[in-house]
Amino acid sequence: MPDSVTFAELKRRSDEIYETFNQEFRRFERFSVDRFYAESVPNLIRQLQLEGYSLTAAEDALNDLTTLRTRYTGKKSDWAAAKKLIGRIADGLQRASAGQHLLFLEVSMTDRLENARLSLEKTIKVLRTARESIDVTIPGRRPQPGHLHPITLMRQRIEDIFVSLGYAVEDDREIETDFYNFDALNIPEGHPARDPQDTFYTTEGFALRSQTSTVQIHAMQRRGAPVRMIAPGRVFRRDTPDPTHNPMFFQVEGLCVDRGITMAHLKGTLAEFVHRLFGPETKTRFRPSYFPFTEPSAEVDYSCFSCGGSGCRICKHSGWIELGGSGMVHPNVLRTANVDTSEFTGFAFGLGIDRTCARIYQLDDIRLLFENDVRFLAQFR
Amino acid sequence: MLISCNWLRELIGTKLSPEEIRDRLTNVGLAVDAVEARGDDSVLDVEVPSNRGDCLSHIGIARELAVIEKSQVSSFKFQVKATNGKTGEFASVEIRDPDLCPRYAARTVRGVKIAPSPDWLVKKLETIGQRPINNVADITNYVLHEFGQPLHAFDLARLTEKKIIVRRATKGESIRTLDGVDRKLDEQMLVIADAKEPVALAGVMGGELSEISNLTTDVLIESAYFDASSVRRTAKFLGLHTEASHRFERGTDPAGVIAAQERCVALICELAGGVATEDALDVYPNPIETKAVALRPERVESITSLQVELDEIKRILTGLGFELRVKEASVLSFTVPSWRHDVSIEEDLVEEVARHTGYDKIETSLPPARHAGEYHSSEERKRALRLALISQGFGEAINLSFTELTDDFDLIPALNAETAPVTLTNPIIEEASGMRRTLLPGLLNSIRHNLNYGIRDVSLFELGRVFGSNEAGTLPLEHETFALVATGGLLEANRAQPARELDFFDLKGAVEAAVDGINLPPLSFAAATIKHLRPGQSASISANGGRVGSIGRLADSISAEYKFRQPVFVAELDLTTLLEVKVQPVFYAPLPRFPAIVRDVSLLVDRTVTVAELSKAATDQSVPHFVGVTFVGTYEGEGIPDSKRSVTLRFEYRADDRTMRDEEVDAIHWPLVETLKERFGGEVR
Repeated sequence: MPDSVTFAELKRRSDEIYETFNQEFRRFERFSVDRFYAESVPNLIRQLQLEGYSLTAAEDALNDLTTLRTRYTGKKSDWAAAKKLIGRIADGLQRASAGQHLLFLEVSMTDRLENARLSLEKTIKVLRTARESIDVTIPGRRPQPGHLHPITLMRQRIEDIFVSLGYAVEDDREIETDFYNFDALNIPEGHPARDPQDTFYTTEGFALRSQTSTVQIHAMQRRGAPVRMIAPGRVFRRDTPDPTHNPMFFQVEGLCVDRGITMAHLKGTLAEFVHRLFGPETKTRFRPSYFPFTEPSAEVDYSCFSCGGSGCRICKHSGWIELGGSGMVHPNVLRTANVDTSEFTGFAFGLGIDRTCARIYQLDDIRLLFENDVRFLAQFR
Repeated sequence: MLISCNWLRELIGTKLSPEEIRDRLTNVGLAVDAVEARGDDSVLDVEVPSNRGDCLSHIGIARELAVIEKSQVSSFKFQVKATNGKTGEFASVEIRDPDLCPRYAARTVRGVKIAPSPDWLVKKLETIGQRPINNVADITNYVLHEFGQPLHAFDLARLTEKKIIVRRATKGESIRTLDGVDRKLDEQMLVIADAKEPVALAGVMGGELSEISNLTTDVLIESAYFDASSVRRTAKFLGLHTEASHRFERGTDPAGVIAAQERCVALICELAGGVATEDALDVYPNPIETKAVALRPERVESITSLQVELDEIKRILTGLGFELRVKEASVLSFTVPSWRHDVSIEEDLVEEVARHTGYDKIETSLPPARHAGEYHSSEERKRALRLALISQGFGEAINLSFTELTDDFDLIPALNAETAPVTLTNPIIEEASGMRRTLLPGLLNSIRHNLNYGIRDVSLFELGRVFGSNEAGTLPLEHETFALVATGGLLEANRAQPARELDFFDLKGAVEAAVDGINLPPLSFAAATIKHLRPGQSASISANGGRVGSIGRLADSISAEYKFRQPVFVAELDLTTLLEVKVQPVFYAPLPRFPAIVRDVSLLVDRTVTVAELSKAATDQSVPHFVGVTFVGTYEGEGIPDSKRSVTLRFEYRADDRTMRDEEVDAIHWPLVETLKERFGGEVR
């Protein structure tokens, strides 16, 4: 039979343990659950930081708290040993009093431990969220994209417009016979355009096409009339490179041959085109002009997209910008392509893609188009 | 061309302001670029279309304005007062080459006094930017700007035997022109010669020898009609562009020769004194016939959509000098005025009516719908290709089609090595004398350009044609290719530091992404010796078993030429051929219901054993449940002999009806690995 214990002894022993617990627990007392329900997370973070809480301090505190709990409420703790002594109090009444006393102290300890744990865990969570917050202004991660050449962008826009108007996009050779480059376009032998001063010739005597109208002839021969097509592409003229000239540039030529086609349709088509390219408020102006492959011929201007026609630097204060040449297809051209001129009429037009690019992007030196400076190319989309 | 408003007013008495004249002329196709006030006059800078030589004078412009204003050019009188004798008594004219000079008229004035011109004449010439010289020269210049007929005055005394012979120059002949330059002539140039030697370049410029001087007393006035293309050739050939050649090149009025000369002689008599001959010595062996052009009035509407009254059509055309010949009900026939070389068919007359009715009166409408629009058959795939390449970080470049000729590069197989370049007879950039056979030199130039500006990370691609000579007499080959170049680091958007340096596999990846983008079967790459690529880092590329291009690191020798101090990777592929490869149709494959089991194996093999060989050797064996291998990585360096490397592959196994057990997989996996070990002499690490 083990030694009996008195109530007074047990009370003194448990009070001693409780007292040391109180002393050790004092450092956790500042954790109180209440504040966590009252405050918003960002406010809480700010407050905790003001109070000097760091994430590591809170984590250490939680560890310490766990140790404390084990030390005071664990199975092998002094407290557990003390509790076992209750049964050894002989007097039933005193035993009940001792039980009550110890229970009271134990609940006081475990409640406070639990409160402190909850609040510490919450603190850690809050501080960890703060630690893991990111700077959302840092640039997103992605490969540096390349860019399409401005001439490609412009060509695609132009193609999209004309395809939607029922035109087929055609292409053909860049090195041509004199027949397709000149004769078929009603440019007779001896015409200034045929001069080697203006047109590149290969040693074999072929011409680098000086306009994509060559494609019109091929297309009419292939498709016959009626036909609606555009021909975008590279053309070559013997111009010395300067801010407004390149010996190679891009052009788009259009052709519409059908029964009953008139200049009204030419005007309507180009008006529609500039509406779509430059905006619905854009106006067009047609002036009589001369081209060997059209009769009657017209120069086409559109109202300046920048000032709307009142005059500015871009339109050289005239309010108008030159779009290109146009006209009713010359009967000689139609006949060469085996189109019956008693049945069909047609219109044709041509405009410079590079030049339109230069206008739209306000590019004052078109040589930049073929230098392929990546700082230049990256500007267009 | 400069036009004086006051001068115009003398000719047609217009009340329009200079700005109104500007707008009206512009509307009929004579674009006025600028109006400038000069004293009490205003000067219009008129841009005359190249086919409207008849408008290169005040009368020409006045004629257009008269039709615009529904008025008439006033007929002013001029008459030679003092005449005596026939020109034939004082000079002779012989046209030896009538093909280049259909008409030549000479007239003499004797006893003139060369002196400065009167103020009114000086002022008129100065207003339109002409420099006064002396009375006779100024009068010829004045009449040129009035009538558009260039005239020339010779010092009669200085013409040997007083002869005018119009002929082609002979070999070795030369002439010192009025500008003091000695000019060598060739046998295609037309000259005016006296009995001894050339005294003027026909239609271009006079000679110094017969120039009017202060001592001149007798002058011979030339008024002629020269062949336009002959004058154009001579002027262009000698680089001598004059007021006279400008007009003859565009065609002058063969019928107006005498009237202009009469006007000139009358003014000389009036302002410089002297006695003129009674008539011109006019040599015109084959008079040019008047043309007639028919017009069906309804064609005006069917071509332009303009509805113009018959009377208005007639008014416009007759106002412009056309004469109505036949007045049938349905067809009008007009004779074409001698000054209108640009009119020969019905459409030309329609244009005359349309421009004087006003293009702004033409309505605006779309043609009725006819066809569905269609892109070029290759456009959809080219757009996809471009998008794939830009998303790989490559910028699109465009280079000139002509380049320096070089043999440093292997060409795409479609142009084999023997394909000679297409050369130009007349390059504009001296060193760019041929058509490119490869896009690479252009792109390498672009890299150099960027490096020169301190940009070291450059990835570019280009789509374009290359050219090669064909059999003699046939058009050259044109083939579309696409090429890529890359150097420097792998850039990330908005970040200062490249993620890492680029290597062969970045470029290869871009090429693969590109063909993926256009839905082609994967390309195959095989180590190959390529002229412009560094050995050991170069490959040929094939599609469907046929070679289509090459890829690799630029050879050190070429890099040195371009002064590149960092590796450059290049690739070029035959796009025409690639686009002919059929797109693979897509069919759904059922998804596996059970997970795959994978085994990674690192094989230590000779460096010469390729990943492709290993993969193929594995997949060639038809092992049940074996799905395939995927490349994991290679390792060389510490712990690995120099001649070897370790290749890690992932083997995948799967059954359709169950999750495979480890033992089951091992039973098929290890024998498979064993065959690879045996075949390639490798060992498992």
